[in-house]
Amino acid sequence: MVTKTEETELNRLENQVDNGGGGAWEYLCLVKKLKVRRSDKVLKHGLSILNDPKRRSALGPEVWTLYEQVATAAMDCHCLDVAQDCIKVLQKKFPESKRVGRLEGILLEAKGSWAEAEKAYSSLLEDNPLDPVLHKRRVAIAKAQGNFPGAIEWLNKYLEIFMADHDAWRELAEIYVSLQMYKQAAFCYEELILSQPTVPLYHLAYADVLYTLGGLDNLQTAKKYYASTIDLTGGKNTKALFGICLCSSATAQLTKGRNKEDKESLDLQYLAGAALEKNYKQRAPDKLSVLSSALKSLKIS
Amino acid sequence: MGVGFVVGVLGVVILAHAAYSTVQYRGLLKIMEEEFSNPPMNVVVELLLGLVLCMWAALTVPGKFMSIHPDSEDNRMVSLPGNLEFMIFNHRGKVFPSEVDMKLKH
Repeated sequence: MVTKTEETELNRLENQVDNGGGGAWEYLCLVKKLKVRRSDKVLKHGLSILNDPKRRSALGPEVWTLYEQVATAAMDCHCLDVAQDCIKVLQKKFPESKRVGRLEGILLEAKGSWAEAEKAYSSLLEDNPLDPVLHKRRVAIAKAQGNFPGAIEWLNKYLEIFMADHDAWRELAEIYVSLQMYKQAAFCYEELILSQPTVPLYHLAYADVLYTLGGLDNLQTAKKYYASTIDLTGGKNTKALFGICLCSSATAQLTKGRNKEDKESLDLQYLAGAALEKNYKQRAPDKLSVLSSALKSLKIS
Repeated sequence: MGVGFVVGVLGVVILAHAAYSTVQYRGLLKIMEEEFSNPPMNVVVELLLGLVLCMWAALTVPGKFMSIHPDSEDNRMVSLPGNLEFMIFNHRGKVFPSEVDMKLKH
């Protein structure tokens, strides 16, 4: 998870490294720790370290994980020669390693030879049938080929064994959302909220799915989850504030005629609108008029 | 660290001195064959002073407190990690060639 402080630190380091201020190794470590995908920068700065014998030897044994990181980044940037060279170096150092074998499989994927990659993973799985990363790569192969039903099938099989893997639940939820299978996606997000109740972004995603599903009950539940997102982020999540406004206006439309709206929900939507206006005033004063007209069209404020 | 540590040591010394005075006072009582009613004033003052100094040192020396609020800057999550284990490579970046041709030189 990336918190606000970590994000600020990452951006600061990235700026510093890009302007030639040094600290490339710290930046690469932070990228790895936070698991963010900044392949172009990792490739550029990682290679500059690897090509400098003095800096390379200063890293000691850490240099091998850097080779791995750079190889993955190079594949993401389609610099397959660089990736190949890095993997060759690693293979020379660790001839029997499973981890290097996995990297080779990923290289086959990046080249687009799916069948060979699949074969490589199967042979690796024979030695170690419970390696989660290999199972996940199989899902990725199916996804890369556009075979979403296959990816879902693999993921479901994987989740039967590794039920506590929230990354996999999240991936499944995102695949379902991309296929517009919102009910299934909602189930996945429920699972995620159960396993990590303090992550506001899962609450937000769940509320989004419920709002998309529509219907009075779902809209009201969505509103509650938007509210819990606001609670967990201290009102600093703009999307959740907008969500409250949209949910309120949608419920108002559905319950038109039978006007049984209670005072509390009206208060909530006005508060959300006011918080939005305050945020905009602070951070983007020139967009304030757009916001007020949008809120007016939603009959808030 | 320095000041806090010295204060902590001072607090412990004062507490130890209070213990020593208590033992001495009990010895004195035994000799004078009097009943124990309450501890002498200087021991009580030393105990209170020692307590305050030790507590202050214990709160400052180990480091800063971390926030437990979920909405503080240290705890508020702004983005989820990129799901790198499910990373796929046939994305839009494929058609953009990298700016400089990079090579691993050895």
